[in-house]
Amino acid sequence: MYTEIYGIALRSLLISSTATLLALVWSIPFTAKLISIRHRSKDIIIGIFNTLIGLPTVLVGLVLYLLFSYSGPLGFLELLYTPYTIIIGESILITPLVISLLYEVFSRAYNEYWELALTLGADKLQAYKLIIREVISDIFVVSLISFSRAIGELGVALIVGGNIKGYTRVFTTAIALEIEKGEFETAIILGLLLFIVVLSVILTARIIKRRV
Amino acid sequence: MIVLRNIWFSYVDENYVLKNINIEFSRGITVVLGPNGSGKTTLLKIASCLYKPIRGEVLIDDINYWNLNEEEKIRFRRKIVYVHEKPILLRGSVLDNIIYGLIIRGYSRDEAIKKAHKISKELNITSILSRRTETLSIGERRLVTLARALVLDTDYLLLDDPIAHLHPSTRELVVDIVRSMKDEKVIAIATHDPLSTLKIASKVIILDSGRIVNISEPRNIIDKYILEY
Amino acid sequence: MKKFLMILIILVTITTVTTIVYMSVFGKETLRVLKVSTTTSLYVTGLLEKLAEEFRKEYPNVVIQFIAVGTGRALEIASKGDVDMVFVHAPSLEHKYINRGTLVDGHIIAYNYFVIVGPKDDPAGIKGLNNPVKALRRIYNAGVSGMTLFISRGDNSGTHIRELALWRKAGLNPIGQKWYIESGTGMSKTLMIANERKAYTLSDIGTYLKLKGEGILGRLEVLVDKGEGLINIYSAYIVNPEKYKVNYELAKLFLEFVLSRKGQKIINEYGRKLFGRPLFYSAYGKENELKELWNTLLEH
Repeated sequence: MYTEIYGIALRSLLISSTATLLALVWSIPFTAKLISIRHRSKDIIIGIFNTLIGLPTVLVGLVLYLLFSYSGPLGFLELLYTPYTIIIGESILITPLVISLLYEVFSRAYNEYWELALTLGADKLQAYKLIIREVISDIFVVSLISFSRAIGELGVALIVGGNIKGYTRVFTTAIALEIEKGEFETAIILGLLLFIVVLSVILTARIIKRRV
Repeated sequence: MIVLRNIWFSYVDENYVLKNINIEFSRGITVVLGPNGSGKTTLLKIASCLYKPIRGEVLIDDINYWNLNEEEKIRFRRKIVYVHEKPILLRGSVLDNIIYGLIIRGYSRDEAIKKAHKISKELNITSILSRRTETLSIGERRLVTLARALVLDTDYLLLDDPIAHLHPSTRELVVDIVRSMKDEKVIAIATHDPLSTLKIASKVIILDSGRIVNISEPRNIIDKYILEY
Repeated sequence: MKKFLMILIILVTITTVTTIVYMSVFGKETLRVLKVSTTTSLYVTGLLEKLAEEFRKEYPNVVIQFIAVGTGRALEIASKGDVDMVFVHAPSLEHKYINRGTLVDGHIIAYNYFVIVGPKDDPAGIKGLNNPVKALRRIYNAGVSGMTLFISRGDNSGTHIRELALWRKAGLNPIGQKWYIESGTGMSKTLMIANERKAYTLSDIGTYLKLKGEGILGRLEVLVDKGEGLINIYSAYIVNPEKYKVNYELAKLFLEFVLSRKGQKIINEYGRKLFGRPLFYSAYGKENELKELWNTLLEH
């Protein structure tokens, strides 16, 4: 049983961290572009993303299921009930959170460090270097927070992952199944492990934040 | 000399925060006065070529800055240093901050450190050079931002409320240092506290709601303020 | 833009590396995968995993992936072509999907009984009845007079469909009444709710015994386990390979294994030691009899 729990833990970590990285891949350029807009629509767009943070996970799961189902438009990819759909689903789910958090980080970087670099005589490349140096740890903090949202969600993992043993079973779906089986002890062990993971991630984020 | 000609500027849409500004910043100290939100900061940022005006021209040494190519722009921008009202420091030590502008200008680390030590002595911050910036007090942070700007020894020096939040004795020190550079540099100081700065000013500009309401000798302004208060 | 390009390249690299690591650790790409959607009772009791385990002893390069959901969803997933095979227990629903051409090669693989469970003090007085319809009438009357509650799955599962059929047989419609609670969840949670609220519910015997064995249904007991209409027939189907991309050969192999003497023995023996009585009975040798019963369950 412990090798199975170990597998579930490792799988959850890999899936959710990949999802977080994936979300960063599109959120970073998007947010950077958004920051540079000098128009009122910027506030509306970021307002929408703020609202979407509360997106129900089962809704994201359902939409993805319909997309990736064999009869759906992306069915030919044959990705349903694989870890890859969970990765895609979780990355979509956390994107509004990532963008909202990055927006804060980037606004500050843009308003403060970009200008500062220019006042001190930096060319564009030097200014970018300076910004990266200043925000890299903030981006890391953003990813940790988003990661903990991804690893703690159930809806997407259950609907598009299918909770397949040894393949798409992650912390949350395993907990749901153990409850279904009436095996509360295993459910609690898994729940505590998940809690420990999330707690250490959040604590790490806090420590990094205090240091900078 | 920095000349602003018919400058209009807005951050969002048609909300102009600067309306048809015409000023010359020339050798000596120009003090820009005005209440909060009158456009002082924006004016200084336009003069230091951080913001591109919506309309109008910014001339640095008679050259229209925004018509320059990227390379020339940097060359011109390196003649100007603007110090933010909010003291923003980079991660790392105080020394790292002070030498940053020199390093990106191609100075060697040794040279840069030598210059940093010299300016630190003048500003009396030698003792904090190795401290990490997040441990500094607000007054110390401001002195570091000043040191970081002054070490560059630029022709143009634009200071946004440089004496706010400073201890009175430190304030005197800063004012004295700025005064000592009066004859070699073009200096502009934005402030809403005229008392410490007017005595060193060569020209005073009063801004209100994005418009210049008065440009005159400090003498007249002091009289006016004395009458008002 | 150089900064973003740089970050993008770094991130893509990291993602790729992670994915490669992922695939090397968990990748099932080299193995042949059979996807099966199943009713929860067969999975939660552990029977299907046990069958898969034994099957893999003969075919070690095959991985069987179970997606455990209610019968309604299991069939819906099959009709979208997302699985190769289904294990279900709702004849009337199965019939619909057979007619639509979703399912082929249907076989009855096992059976057991539904049971009506309820609080030990049995306020409706149904204990020992050998007629579930009669029992439901009594529960109805007790419910209306405010003496008890009934928890329904309410999730279009095999058990839910059977429960509704029994109510229809009794000529009663409890839906919408205050004492009739639709849990909208799986069998386990429905049983747990019944336990908490001291209510009656219809359950498959397998899930009930499994949970009872875990010691979490202290206030419930089986009150009616005999009588017409309680037989619970589990069937397996392969998803029509002419309509969908289906791993037909593999599905056929597994189906044959389940129906084989060996597979049927596993079904018959499963849980006997642990729970003192079998969770499922093998269909072996009773196919015709069960098929007739199966047909009677279509009529509603």
